[in-house]
Amino acid sequence: MSYVPTIDPGACAAHGDCVDIAPEVFRLDEVAVVIGTGPDDLILDAAAACPSVAITVVDDASGETVYP
Amino acid sequence: MEDPGVVIIGGGLAGQRCAETLRRRGYEHPIRIVCAESDAPYDRPPLSKDVLAGATEPEEVAFRPAWWYEEKQVDLLLGCRAKSLDPRQRTVALEGGGELRYGELLIATGSAARRLPFLEGFENVHYLRTLADSRRLRDELVPGARLGIIGAGFIGQEVAATALRAGVEVTMIEALEAPLAGIVGERVGGWFADLHRSEGVTMRLATMLEGARGNGSVEELVLAGGERVAFDSVVVGIGSAPATQWLQGSGLETDGVKTDAAGRTRLPDVYAAGDAAASFDPRLGVHARAEHWDAAAWQGAAVARSMLGDYPGTPPLPSFWSDQYDVRIQYVGHAGRADGVYIEGDPGERDFTAVFTQGAVPVAGVAVGRPRSIPRLRDKIERGHFPAAHIEQEEARAA
Repeated sequence: MSYVPTIDPGACAAHGDCVDIAPEVFRLDEVAVVIGTGPDDLILDAAAACPSVAITVVDDASGETVYP
Repeated sequence: MEDPGVVIIGGGLAGQRCAETLRRRGYEHPIRIVCAESDAPYDRPPLSKDVLAGATEPEEVAFRPAWWYEEKQVDLLLGCRAKSLDPRQRTVALEGGGELRYGELLIATGSAARRLPFLEGFENVHYLRTLADSRRLRDELVPGARLGIIGAGFIGQEVAATALRAGVEVTMIEALEAPLAGIVGERVGGWFADLHRSEGVTMRLATMLEGARGNGSVEELVLAGGERVAFDSVVVGIGSAPATQWLQGSGLETDGVKTDAAGRTRLPDVYAAGDAAASFDPRLGVHARAEHWDAAAWQGAAVARSMLGDYPGTPPLPSFWSDQYDVRIQYVGHAGRADGVYIEGDPGERDFTAVFTQGAVPVAGVAVGRPRSIPRLRDKIERGHFPAAHIEQEEARAA
């Protein structure tokens, strides 16, 4: 659970795919927002599913960007 | 007198997002959405994919369950069409009688498929715009059926991919030398042709149609030169036109309503969003219809912010996506003015990015199987449009 997602509000079109995949991590307001944390692979799945590629995932343990 | 509130004409994505954003921001007056279809507002991209494949039930594509509209006090007028707009009386007349008074009005009537006159009246000819269209076509996609798709745009291509997976024999007929050649050029367009060919679609490019033969339903399409090809079903995907003829006499444009970047039209308290709008694009300095999901979503929400007197925001760079044969295709920017293209990656492996340039500056890109290349590309394109803003951002980061 060391992956931390952030959302680029300028890129997010509020498709909601991330919320479908990881509702405990993302919530849909006018754009998607991060509300919590979850399993690394789930966060990565949500980031990869975003049609707008608006989610960046950083590994908190190493500081490296793991997605995109 | 009670505030008549917001009237939204059109039950698509733009209208839905406007209603949602108004309520989220605390708007308390009535909201009414006039929906031409008998279905409550729903998401259209699945119509050519999961709904058509039978993998998603039609009710699953609704944006919100029925209780949401009750809880949020958003009234849906289903099966109801606007007939005309009277901006002086601030009313919209409805087909079949009656009129609605508005405080603010959103025109979000979307677009209608362009039709081929010589295919009118045949029962096995399909246009794909609505849930009902998708359901009807789905019934004809049986193994071994011969499907002719006229037009190799994104709708035609997605239908081809879905039909092929259902065991249908698919032929795509396209007037241009390559699919999407007008948008992405012949080189990248040629890649799309290869994609479909390699999956088993028969591609008839640079091919014009002369007519159709059949009694009640099309049996054969007649190609220019006289060749006849037999089909069981035909899908036409040759683009769309804004559904704004009902605005005749209102003072607004009937070929796409011109708006500023915040969705305002030339009439007071009248806004437009989505396919019906030709909104001002601050990057190109022109009014343009976007006709994409992302644009409709953003514009609908931006109009809500404008109505409330809030900052509507800067429109995002145009972008759209398409899913075909398990390949995700993404597009950002404006390729229309490009004078060059370079390709990174391996098109043969369905893993590449095509970057379109204008005077060596990236203006658009297509990513195939490479979603990770999109953010960097978006950033590069934005630098070209708004260099000063990016310099400021970097200075702020460095400080």
